[in-house]
Amino acid sequence: MPKPPFPKPKVPGVLKGMGITLRTAKETVFPNGPIPQPSKGAVTVQYPHDADLPADRARGVISLKEDNCTACMLCARECPDWCIYIEGHKTLAPPRREGGKPRKVNALDRFDIDFSLCMYCGICVEVCPFEALFWSPEYEYSELKIADLLHDKSRLGQWFETVPDFEPLESGSEVKVKKVPR
Amino acid sequence: MTAITDRQKLQYIAAQAADARVNVELEAEGMTLNIGPQHPATHGTLRIVARLDGEQVIAAEPIPGYMHRGYEKLTEVRTYAQVTALVNRIDWLGSFANEVPFILAAEQLMGVEAPPRAQWIRTLLFEMARISNLILFLGDMAVQLGAVTPAFFAFRDREYVLDQIERVTGGRFHPNFDRIGGLKDDLPQGWLADTKATMDKVRAFCDEIENLLMGAEIFQARTRGVGVIPPDVAQQYGLSGANARASGIDWDLRRDQPNGMVYPELDWKVWTHPDGDSFARFWVRLQETREAANIVEQCCDGVPGGPIMAKVPRIIKVPAGEAYVSTENPLGEMGYYVVSKGDLTPFRVKIRSASFNNVSIAPWILRGVYVPDIITILASLYFILGDIDR
Repeated sequence: MPKPPFPKPKVPGVLKGMGITLRTAKETVFPNGPIPQPSKGAVTVQYPHDADLPADRARGVISLKEDNCTACMLCARECPDWCIYIEGHKTLAPPRREGGKPRKVNALDRFDIDFSLCMYCGICVEVCPFEALFWSPEYEYSELKIADLLHDKSRLGQWFETVPDFEPLESGSEVKVKKVPR
Repeated sequence: MTAITDRQKLQYIAAQAADARVNVELEAEGMTLNIGPQHPATHGTLRIVARLDGEQVIAAEPIPGYMHRGYEKLTEVRTYAQVTALVNRIDWLGSFANEVPFILAAEQLMGVEAPPRAQWIRTLLFEMARISNLILFLGDMAVQLGAVTPAFFAFRDREYVLDQIERVTGGRFHPNFDRIGGLKDDLPQGWLADTKATMDKVRAFCDEIENLLMGAEIFQARTRGVGVIPPDVAQQYGLSGANARASGIDWDLRRDQPNGMVYPELDWKVWTHPDGDSFARFWVRLQETREAANIVEQCCDGVPGGPIMAKVPRIIKVPAGEAYVSTENPLGEMGYYVVSKGDLTPFRVKIRSASFNNVSIAPWILRGVYVPDIITILASLYFILGDIDR
């Protein structure tokens, strides 16, 4: 097969490429002036000293607002890898109004999410009809033992404080922005 | 004249025997070279068994299956919402593109159509997935040839695109954002403007790669005329995507079957190359990255207002029937054949992934090439092992 004519460049292509590499290295290490400032021109951050925050919608960790949960088991049933464990019992709560009957409510005994199994799909957050589950962008919860990745309801409740407010949406959107029930 | 000692006689016989042994080795049928299952050129665990004659390959056979995860069977016990989370993991570099054909097939069965805003955003994210996938190819191809700098540039610039995807979907790699009848959520405020700025960075990266790599004499010597696939062979092996277009086949499902996407309303071009060699495959993908950046910018301008979700029941039961929908994914044609019997889960799903067909040409194309060219050709074919094995 005949090769299409390819004009011979004035500068050899290898040298041109190396020039680009050198220029980028210069812009990275010497962003302004002859004093090297490797951390200033770099696009990366030195992680333990300087953390890059993920986006607000990032699926970091699931948080639980315990008051809203009615132990309806929808999230546990829809979870693809069954990493949510819920136990509850029926109990009587004080009436809403004076002189009313006590209400029958489901009390939550156990709500555990095993983050060693979780695949971070977000289906549980989506199916929850009572707004009890929320995503938080926090990601620093690695453990030395795999069993410690099972977060119980108090630990999941602590994550709730890190849930950011839902962002306003782009113009033209007809979706109502929900509020995080704090 | 001195007499020949016994020792000298023995040495002579030993030398003769050694020569004979070497000759036997050289005239032998060849040796078997096992590349993989763990090799940087394979993007996963693909094993290639090559029979060599000296430096030349007599026969080569790819052995996939080291990463088989049984997705077709798993979909039979997953609801439709859970399948979306699952198929993200097929081609992990352009995850959003995997969801779209499955959702389109399910929508076709249910008779739902996504509202225009959802279609536009779907097209937008589909092209962003393509960019994030192809940027990595442009850097990775250089790594296979021994140049390391483009890979760092690629990882740097891909992160800008992934950041934008994360801002809207919540996941860098596994968006899980497409739903039957629309999308999970709307765009956050200011996202479209930031995406346009990101596309400028993508275009700058394409220029940078072109200056850095494509003019380089070493790159051209290693890729021009290497691994030539004629168009008729490409069609026989079922090649699709940029591999087919680099062989001069003008075939792009975005233009030819734009089911449920807004490509006909956009101004863009299908790039082909007549050569069919490794260089052509690289060139076509570079042009496609630029074209995808153009499409994303046009989508940013054209996103209409309105709802993002059609009216669908909360518990999705797809009516009985079967549908096949394929789209032009970053790696080639990807299709889902969905059979439903009216249950919560699909009855059967057949996944036609692009890489499996693209890599099936390996025995044909590797015959007669030299060992270093195996890596170049495999890198330019560009397969992802999750896409081969599923």
